[in-house]
Amino acid sequence: MNDYVNITIDDRKIKARAGEKLLWVALDNDIYIPHLCAVREKERSNASCRLCFVEIEGMARPVTSCTQVVREEMVVRTRSTRIDRLVKTAFELLLSDHNLSCRECPANGNCELQKIAKERGLKLRQKRFKAIERDHTVDDSPDEFAFDPSRCVLCGRCIWADREEAGVGAIGFANRGINSVITTFEGVSLAESICTQCKLCVEACPVGAFYYKKDKKA
Amino acid sequence: MSADSPMDNYEKLFEVAKQNEEARREKPRILLGTASCGVAAGALQVKEFFLKEIESHGLDAEVVEVGCIGHCYAEPLAIIAKPGFPAITYGNLDEGLVHLLVEDFLAGEDPCYEYALAAVDRNDVFPTFEDFPRGIYENKLILEQCGYIDPESIDSYIEKDGYRALAKALSDEPARTLDEVKASNLRGRGGAGFPTGRKWETSLKAGGDEKYVICNADEGDPGAFMDRSILESDPHQVIEGMVLCAYAIGATEGYLYIRAEYPRAVKRVREALEQAREKGVLGSSILGTEFNFDLQVFQGAGAFVCGEETALLSSIEGRRGVPRYRPPFPAVEGLWGKPTVINNVKTFSYVPHIINRGADWFKSIGTPESPGTAVFSLVGKVVNTGLVEVPMGTTLRELIFEVGGGLPDGKEFKAVQIGGPSGGCLPESALDVPIDFDSLHEAGAIMGSGGLVVMDEDDCMVSVAHYFLEFTQQESCGKCTFCRLGTKHMLDILTDITRGHGDEERLTLLEELAEDVRDGSLCNLGRTAPNPVLTTLKYFRDEYKAHIEEGRCPARACRDLVLFYIEPSRCSKLCNVCVGSCPTEAIYTRDDGLKAIDQEKCVKCDNCRKACPPEYNAVIKLSPPVLPPEKEKKRT
Amino acid sequence: MQLLEGERELILSTVEEVLQNSSRNREDLIPSLQRVQSKLGYLPALAMEKLAEGLDIPAVDIYGIATFYNQFRLNPPGKYQVKVCMGTACYMKGGEITLESFERRMEIEEGETSPDRLYSLERVACVGCCTLAPVVVVNDDHIEGYVTPTRVDGIMLEFEEADQKEEETEKETEEETKKTAAEGGKNK
Repeated sequence: MNDYVNITIDDRKIKARAGEKLLWVALDNDIYIPHLCAVREKERSNASCRLCFVEIEGMARPVTSCTQVVREEMVVRTRSTRIDRLVKTAFELLLSDHNLSCRECPANGNCELQKIAKERGLKLRQKRFKAIERDHTVDDSPDEFAFDPSRCVLCGRCIWADREEAGVGAIGFANRGINSVITTFEGVSLAESICTQCKLCVEACPVGAFYYKKDKKA
Repeated sequence: MSADSPMDNYEKLFEVAKQNEEARREKPRILLGTASCGVAAGALQVKEFFLKEIESHGLDAEVVEVGCIGHCYAEPLAIIAKPGFPAITYGNLDEGLVHLLVEDFLAGEDPCYEYALAAVDRNDVFPTFEDFPRGIYENKLILEQCGYIDPESIDSYIEKDGYRALAKALSDEPARTLDEVKASNLRGRGGAGFPTGRKWETSLKAGGDEKYVICNADEGDPGAFMDRSILESDPHQVIEGMVLCAYAIGATEGYLYIRAEYPRAVKRVREALEQAREKGVLGSSILGTEFNFDLQVFQGAGAFVCGEETALLSSIEGRRGVPRYRPPFPAVEGLWGKPTVINNVKTFSYVPHIINRGADWFKSIGTPESPGTAVFSLVGKVVNTGLVEVPMGTTLRELIFEVGGGLPDGKEFKAVQIGGPSGGCLPESALDVPIDFDSLHEAGAIMGSGGLVVMDEDDCMVSVAHYFLEFTQQESCGKCTFCRLGTKHMLDILTDITRGHGDEERLTLLEELAEDVRDGSLCNLGRTAPNPVLTTLKYFRDEYKAHIEEGRCPARACRDLVLFYIEPSRCSKLCNVCVGSCPTEAIYTRDDGLKAIDQEKCVKCDNCRKACPPEYNAVIKLSPPVLPPEKEKKRT
Repeated sequence: MQLLEGERELILSTVEEVLQNSSRNREDLIPSLQRVQSKLGYLPALAMEKLAEGLDIPAVDIYGIATFYNQFRLNPPGKYQVKVCMGTACYMKGGEITLESFERRMEIEEGETSPDRLYSLERVACVGCCTLAPVVVVNDDHIEGYVTPTRVDGIMLEFEEADQKEEETEKETEEETKKTAAEGGKNK
C-alpha cells in the first residue's frame, strides 16, 4: 500500500496522504473550501454545514469534501455552477438565521462566515431569505466569556471541544429541527452548569457565538 | 439426514402445531380483527358482545383475536368458522349483529348470508374475496395469512408451513439462502428499492464476527400502516425472514425497531419472540443446529427521521436520532460500527416465501425489474380503504378504481399521493403508470413504504404540499443546513401562498430552494422532502397561480382564501340546525327568518356546512373570500 | 418546576428501580427513559440527572435526547390526554378542525397542559388507523375513530363525567378513611 496518493484539485497536481479527507488536503495546499463544522481530529465528520461541496470526476453528484477520502487519480473541482449554487444557498440559509451585526461582534475580522463571503464573493447581507426571528438571550454568566445563541450556526465545534478536548460534557445539542440549540442541561446558565470555564469552546467557535468578554480578552 | 436434522426437528414442531390447531378448530371460532384499526373501530367492545352472547346461549366457542384482513372499510370485522360451514367474514359488526349471528348461526344453522361479506375459502355456497372485482388484481403473498391466523399463537403460523423455510435453509449452506435471495431480485420495500441480496452480500463480505440484522419498523409516513398491520397480524413471518437473513450473513443478534406509536405491534411481536424461542426457532441452537441468533424489540421514541437507517442506528445506540453520512453504508459499518443489514418489515416478510417456493416463482410475479408484489395502504377519498397487495406492474388506475372501488360521493379524482412526505402527487394523466420502483420514480413520486392517499376535487394541492412539507420540517432533525433552514423557508413561502400573499418571484425562489434542498441535504429525509412541492409544481402549477394571482383556492380548502356563506335561496326558515352546530355563535337569524353567518365571528370550522340537511345544502364555501353583492343589498 | 410533596422520593425510587433492571450501557438509555416516563408520566429534571449518574453519561446528553424525541415530556401531562392524529388521511378528513375543537373546549393550545393539570392536548404523527380518519388517541391507549367536532363534545363530556365520578368516589373514600381513622384513632 502506498502512503501517498496523487490527486488533482482544480488542475493542480497534489500528493496527499492516503486515507486523508479531501477537505484537509485542499486546505493544506492553500486551496480554500468553505467549511464550518469540520474538525480534523474527528474520524467521522458531522457533515452538517453543507458548505464544503466539491465535484469529483466520475461522481454524479457534488460531494462534501470533509467526508470524501482521497483516492489515487482523483480529479476534483472546487468550483462549478452547481457547486457555487449549492454553497451560495447553504451560506445564505445560515445567514438568514444569524444575527448579522458584525460591527458589534467580537469575531469581526476573524469570522469564518466573513471569510467564506470574501473567498467566494458572496454577500453577507443576503436578500433571498427573510431573517428568521428568534427570541435568544445572551448567556454572559461565565467570568471571561459569553455565549450568544443568535450568532450560533450549530456547527458543533464547541461541543467537540467540550467533550473531546476538555472532557467535561457541559454542553450539547437540544431540541430538534429548526428549534435545535446548543445548550446546557435544562438550559441553565453556563455558570450554573458543570462547565469548568476552560474556554476551549471559545477557541473552537468559528463565528463569535462563544466569545471573550471585551475587557477579558486573553 | 441424521435423526435430528433441522428438517426432522421442524416436522416434529409441525405435527404438534397441526394437532393443536386442529383441536382448536373442532369448536366454532370467531376470528375477530383486533389490529389497531379494528380496535379503534370498536373491536374490543364487539369481543365483549360475542363473549356475552356465547355465554348466554351456553355455547362452547372461542373468540380469537387476529390481525387485519385488509378490508378496513368494513371494520369491525370477524370471521366465523363453524365446523360444517364455510368460514365466513362479516363486517360492520355491532351489538345487534353479534346477537343475530350468535343466535342464528352459532346456536342455529343459518349463516345469515345477507350480512356476510365473503367466504374465506372457495366453496359452493358463498363467494370469496377473490370473487370480488378486486380479486382479479390482488395477489396476496405477504398479506395472505394476515387476519386469518392467530398472531398470538406460533402454532397457527407453523401449521401454515411457517418456519419451514428456515428448516430448509438450515439444511444447507448459508450461501444457498443468500444465492436464492439474490436470484429472486427482491428489492427493498422501505422505499428506495435497493436489491436485498446485494445488501446482504455486502454485509457478509464485510467480515468480522459480530453482525446485526435490524428490521426497520419505524413506519413513520403519515397515511401508511402496512408494516403495523403485518406485525400485528403475522409477526412470525417477519421474524422468520430475519432469522433467514441472519443465517445468510452470519449474524447473531438483531433488533426490531418499532415505532412508539404502535404499542399493539410491540406487544404482539414481543410475545411472538418469546414463543419462537420456546419452539427453538430463535435463540441458541436453532432447530437443533449450531446456529444462534436472537432478537429483541427496540421501541422508537417518536422521531420520523429514525426511519432513515443511520438515524435509526443512532437511536438504538442511545443517541439523538440524527443521520450520519453514507458511505460507509450500515451494511459495512452499522450498529456499533459492525456490519448491519437493515431491511423493512415487508422485505423480510417475502424471504420465507422465496426460500420455500424459489426465486423463479418470485420472479414470475410482478415485472422483471421489480419482481413480486406491492403492498399499499389505500386511504383518503377512496371507497374501499384498507390494505391491498397487488403484483408490481399493476397501474395506479387499476389500483384506485378497480381494487379501491373509485372515489366516494361521486367526486372527481384529482391526485394520488404516493410515498408519503418523501413522495409526490401524481395527476390523472399519470394514472396509467405501472406501479414499480422505476416507473414511479420517473413520474416524480417514489414507491416509498407504501402509503397511497387518494385526493379529490375538494383537496387543494398547494395545501397538500404544505401539509407534507410542514410534516418534514417539523420532523427534520436539524443537523444539516439545507433541511433545517431550507425546509423552514420553503414552508414560509408555501404558507404565504395558501394565504394568498405569494408572488411569482417567491414561487421561483420556492422552486430553486426545493432543488437545492434536494441536492444538498445530508440524508434522504432532506433530499426527498421537496418532492411533494416539486411534483405539485410540476403537475398543478395552475393551482399555485390561482392562489397567487387571484387569491383563490380552486378546491376551496385554504381557509384564508374561503368564506362560509349561507345561500338565502336554499336556506329554510323552518330549520335551525346550523345555529346549534356553530361553536362560536357566528350564525344568526335574519329578520326574514333565514340564517346568515357573521364573518367576524366565523372560524371556518365547517360544522355548519356538515350540519345543514342535505335537502337544503345551503351552506357553501366561496373562494376568493368575497360575499356576493346580493347579500350586501339585503343587509342595508 | 416545583416538585409536589412526595414527588422527589417517588422520582428517586423510580430511577433506582429502572437502573437496577438495566445493563447500564448507553443503549439502555432510551428504554430507561421510556420506563421512567411510563411510571411518572413525564421526565422530571431530577430523574434525568440521576439516570445520567447511573449510566455515566453527561446529563446534557439525556436532556438532548429528551428534547429530541416526540415521545418524551418534560412536564407532567394532564389527567386526560388527547393526541390528535395528524396523518395524511386525518388531515384530509379534518384533523386540524378536530384539533381546534379540542383547543376551544379545553381552553389550551396544542402542546399544553391545562393549569389544573386536568387536560393535555398534543398532535401526534400518524397512528396508522387511517381508514377511520380523523382519529384521536385518548390517554395513550384508547383510539377513537371518526372524531368530528360533535364527537369532540362527546369525548369532553365523558371526561367531565369520569372526573366527577372520580371526585365523588374520592370523597367517599376520604370520608371512609376519615371514619376508619376516627374509629381506629389513627390520623393520616
